[in-house]
Amino acid sequence: MPFRLKIATRYLLSNRAQSVLLLTGVAIGVLVFCFMSALINGLTQYQITQTVGAIPHLTFEPREREPRVISGDKATMVLPAVVNGNLQRTQIRSWQSLMDSLSADPAVRVAVPIVSGNALLTRGQAVGSVAITGVKPEQLSDIADIAPNIIAGTAELDLDGILIGARLAKNLSVSVGQPVVMRSDRGRERTVKVRGIFRLGIESLDERVAYMNFKAARALLDLENGVSRVEVKLFDLYAAPPMSEVYGAATGLKVTSWIEKNRRLFDAIQGQGTTGTLIKVFSIVTIVIGVASALLLTTMRRRAEIGIMRSMGVSKEFITTVFVAQGVLIGLAGATLGAGLGYSACWALAEFAKRADGRALLTIDVAGGNYAYGIALATFASALAAILPARAAAKIDPLEAISQ
Amino acid sequence: MTTPRSILDITDLRKDYVTGDTVAQVLKGLSFSVYAGEFLALLGPSGSGKSTLLSILGTLLRPTSGSMRMLGQELSTATDAELTNFRSRNIGFVFQYHHLLPDFSALENVAFPASAVMGRETDAVLLRAAQLLDRVGLRDRMHYKATKLSGGQKQRVAIARALMMNPALVLADEPTGNLDRENAEHVMALLARINAESGTTFLISTHDPDIAARCHRRLTVIDGRLAGIETSSGPDDAGHRPMLAAE
Repeated sequence: MPFRLKIATRYLLSNRAQSVLLLTGVAIGVLVFCFMSALINGLTQYQITQTVGAIPHLTFEPREREPRVISGDKATMVLPAVVNGNLQRTQIRSWQSLMDSLSADPAVRVAVPIVSGNALLTRGQAVGSVAITGVKPEQLSDIADIAPNIIAGTAELDLDGILIGARLAKNLSVSVGQPVVMRSDRGRERTVKVRGIFRLGIESLDERVAYMNFKAARALLDLENGVSRVEVKLFDLYAAPPMSEVYGAATGLKVTSWIEKNRRLFDAIQGQGTTGTLIKVFSIVTIVIGVASALLLTTMRRRAEIGIMRSMGVSKEFITTVFVAQGVLIGLAGATLGAGLGYSACWALAEFAKRADGRALLTIDVAGGNYAYGIALATFASALAAILPARAAAKIDPLEAISQ
Repeated sequence: MTTPRSILDITDLRKDYVTGDTVAQVLKGLSFSVYAGEFLALLGPSGSGKSTLLSILGTLLRPTSGSMRMLGQELSTATDAELTNFRSRNIGFVFQYHHLLPDFSALENVAFPASAVMGRETDAVLLRAAQLLDRVGLRDRMHYKATKLSGGQKQRVAIARALMMNPALVLADEPTGNLDRENAEHVMALLARINAESGTTFLISTHDPDIAARCHRRLTVIDGRLAGIETSSGPDDAGHRPMLAAE
């Protein structure tokens, strides 16, 4: 063992009470660090899964038409007027080439062409307004996870079938296998059967959305060639904002990222991330202050010893290393202990703390505790904290220290 | 008689302490030499500048002016790092209070100077430390913690530690000042024996005339000046050394 490390270890072992307290302090700091990381990561994942899991990361839509200016006589005031764009449905006509481009992009997980529009769903006296989403049957669950959330019937989308949300089914008092009449906003009408009822847990989808076969929806919505939008899921959902800009410029379409559409959610996630970071920073600062103050006390207590070492020709650098080594040893041991305790606490909470329905009480991502990072950061912080006392120790005048 | 070989030459050494506008002249132009193998006493009343001189000779304090040349190297102008390195290899210290490292054994304390220089506690270093402890009569105490030793034993460990690097000069500041008569006698006898057997040069600062009487020469400092140099055979001029240990 290098001699400096031996002295550092001996110093730590000779004052066990102080070392144990210091170790405990570092361990608690790292425990908080890891626990907060796991908690914030778990919460973020949960929120993203709950929200972003059922929506596209990128949405390609036709650009909205600019209002045309209708000018009167020169003497009269110029009045802008919007020609009702709804009279002519906007659509992406060249969606096939867009699909080809998206399929070739390695960042894209899946791209789904969608035909959409509004319709009234009638069942006897009951009428409900729905947003039709026409999708290819094999791509039904590519964006929203419909198939696993079917609570009645099947997820089959034949030409005569629709899938509706549980809330809508309840409002219309309709069940699987029953026919309903759909009348689109293009004035076309079609009788379809309810093939399945889903519950995504998202109110707006469960109450308003009806899934139809892509071809059937085209006919109903009078969109024979184009599509209403193309929805895309990416491998990295945080790549959505820059990609929306790139694709927007390249295609001339309106490309919206999920962050843009869910600004509040994103701000909330960022906010809780910032809060978590602050708590982690404070825990590291606490470690730094604890280590620095304890080692400063050691420096004061060992003043005469340091003086005698210096009188024996021990260099300032030697003394500095001994004290920094103490910081590193305390940091490494305390952080490893803290990370171990943090992992155990997260695992125990995730495993045993459950609600009555079996769901976890806390949304903890056990693997997201940043344990290695916590250990490395706390060790580095402890070494950094030891520099001040180490420098103070190295500056001790041997003559003055011996004379005391 | 062999020709005396000087290991330390002091010329017009001065040390001033400045406090505000006041300048206190503690050493006022000392000049003398120390020869290899000498057993030298440094005498003087309290406040005479004896401790300051010892600190300067130990390279723990810089002189205000003058020259201090040891083993052919001018130390008054050396850098801190050079002085630290020089001190670690050529100067040993025995203090009035032993100043052992309390968390280490007697063996580790003695080995410390060499281990610190080498960066490791090698077998060779530990063997030499054990031999030195044997020489000071503490073979059976080598694994005792410093705090478990008696006052006299601690001082003997400190002597062994001072000899670890086989220094050219050992500076002893009142080495028996904290010991009872019997232990003081043992320590002085030990120093004299080491000097006689190994030719290690000792400069011993003391108030005790009995201890001074056992030395080859006695340098007396009064009011920052060298008041006299006396050999065992009687008064003598500075620089002249009539009696030398075997070299």
